[in-house]
Amino acid sequence: MGAVVAYVGVLGDALVRAGSAAPLLTAPAALGVLALVLALVHRGRGLGPALWLAAGTYVAFVVHVEHRVDPTAPLVAVLLLLSGELAAWSLDERWRIRADPQLAWRRGLALAALALAGLAVAALVVALSAVPSSHGLLWTVAGAAAAVGAAGTGVWVVRR
Amino acid sequence: MTGFTSWRLPAYASLAAAGLVAGLAFGRVEPVALAAPFVLALVAAVTEHEPRVSVRLSLDRERALEGEEVTATIELSSPDSVDRFELLVPLPPEASIEGGPARALLLRAGEERTVELTLRCERWGAFSFGPVLFRARDLLGLRSWEGEAGEPQPLRVYPREETLRSLVAPLETQVFAGNQVSRVRGEGIEFADLREWQPGDRVRRVNWRATALRGSLWVNEQYPERNTDVVLFLDTFAEVRAQGRSTNDRAVRAAATLARGYLQRKDRVGLVGFGGVLSWLVPESGTRQLYAIVDTLLASDIVHSFALRDVDTLPPRTLPPKALVLAITPLLDNRTASALLDLRARGYDLIVVEVSPLELVDPSFAASVELAHRLWRLSREALRWRYEQVGVPVVTWREGVPLAGPLEEVNAFRHLARPA
Repeated sequence: MGAVVAYVGVLGDALVRAGSAAPLLTAPAALGVLALVLALVHRGRGLGPALWLAAGTYVAFVVHVEHRVDPTAPLVAVLLLLSGELAAWSLDERWRIRADPQLAWRRGLALAALALAGLAVAALVVALSAVPSSHGLLWTVAGAAAAVGAAGTGVWVVRR
Repeated sequence: MTGFTSWRLPAYASLAAAGLVAGLAFGRVEPVALAAPFVLALVAAVTEHEPRVSVRLSLDRERALEGEEVTATIELSSPDSVDRFELLVPLPPEASIEGGPARALLLRAGEERTVELTLRCERWGAFSFGPVLFRARDLLGLRSWEGEAGEPQPLRVYPREETLRSLVAPLETQVFAGNQVSRVRGEGIEFADLREWQPGDRVRRVNWRATALRGSLWVNEQYPERNTDVVLFLDTFAEVRAQGRSTNDRAVRAAATLARGYLQRKDRVGLVGFGGVLSWLVPESGTRQLYAIVDTLLASDIVHSFALRDVDTLPPRTLPPKALVLAITPLLDNRTASALLDLRARGYDLIVVEVSPLELVDPSFAASVELAHRLWRLSREALRWRYEQVGVPVVTWREGVPLAGPLEEVNAFRHLARPA
């Protein structure tokens, strides 16, 4: 339930503020919700595409509708992360395993810490974007390197 | 251990990369902010490493009776901290663990933990528990490592025996001392008859009262106590099984009960498992023979076979002359019937205990199936009639009835109809 609420929060904010562009964003948003519900029913299959659809819907909103820096971007990022994590947690709990009670609240604390840290980093990124910089090329290279590093890290972790 | 990553990691990595690229492509900071928390999650996953865990499985005993509880102890230790350690003890269908076979716990660095599981086996058999399957995961479940550890632990679950007050006495005895009163006269305790003294008779056998009455020496004759040979003939060609109960289970319990009863009387007991897999034990006496019989019974299982079998395939010493053959059969296979009638024709003292399968058959039938069911019951009646025609007592042991009941029927039959 928490995963769905967080997910709907990501999309709802974008759709409400989309104005005339809302009908264009409704289809991918609806598909994303459907993918999320199906994933929760079918043990996680389709959760990745659901996250992609939500992120894509928000980015489309930002690029085509919002002409200023959206201050809610960090919150949207954290909600998207939470929807993925909460969905995974609910799927893990379906295994009938007698667990120590402390495991649940330790995972909750870890998730909260990750969410807060993510919120802080995203907010920092948005704040830094307001700082004028004459080193546009340097930022571009750094951003490209970060993108490659993120993708490469993911591949390395998966293959380890 | 084998390492696995959650489906979320590739999704997070692709989202992070796409967010950063989209930020560059569109010149917007929002996709980069969207990617930030996912990058953090990736960093959290990268910092995890494969833990080193020691797992040891043990059972508090190697033998148990049906329905008894056995404690399985799993000792865990790790020099590293494991945020979530899951373990699973694979179980056979006949066993269960209170609370389920899986546990999840936190393992701190350097800590030794002991997990005790209460195991319960509802059915006899020879089982092996282990190795333990385990999975070590990080806090968020982004990465996990799976493996198995611990040596398999054997557990023999013996059939629960019934209480018998009396056993079926064989008609003939053997030459060794035992608890069965023999028909043949000799040295013993039970008084048999009086006869005139003959050279060689012992003085202590003289019946002084009869001697005084008749004026010449008269001696007592006794019936000696001898042992007997009993062969338990177990039909393992076929069984009827429903809702966790089966005719073979009851047959094995009956065989174990009878084996213990006869061995306690110092009789020699043998075993023949007549079915898809042929097994036998030559009649012997003593406690070791009891364990050998029970261990053979634990391994007995229904193996479907179309091979023709007869008693000629058994070694000669398996069926000694004058032995009582107690056949425990559900009367489902004609090959067993042929073998038993063959034994009767060879002069063996044969008793058939029918383990009734009727209680395991669903009584609610469609009309066409009901006709088949009636025909089946009639064929079983015909088979019983064939046995009775040659003087073999056939008793039916129904579910829920103690084994002592059918055995008393056999004693009554033999008391009324003295076999030739």
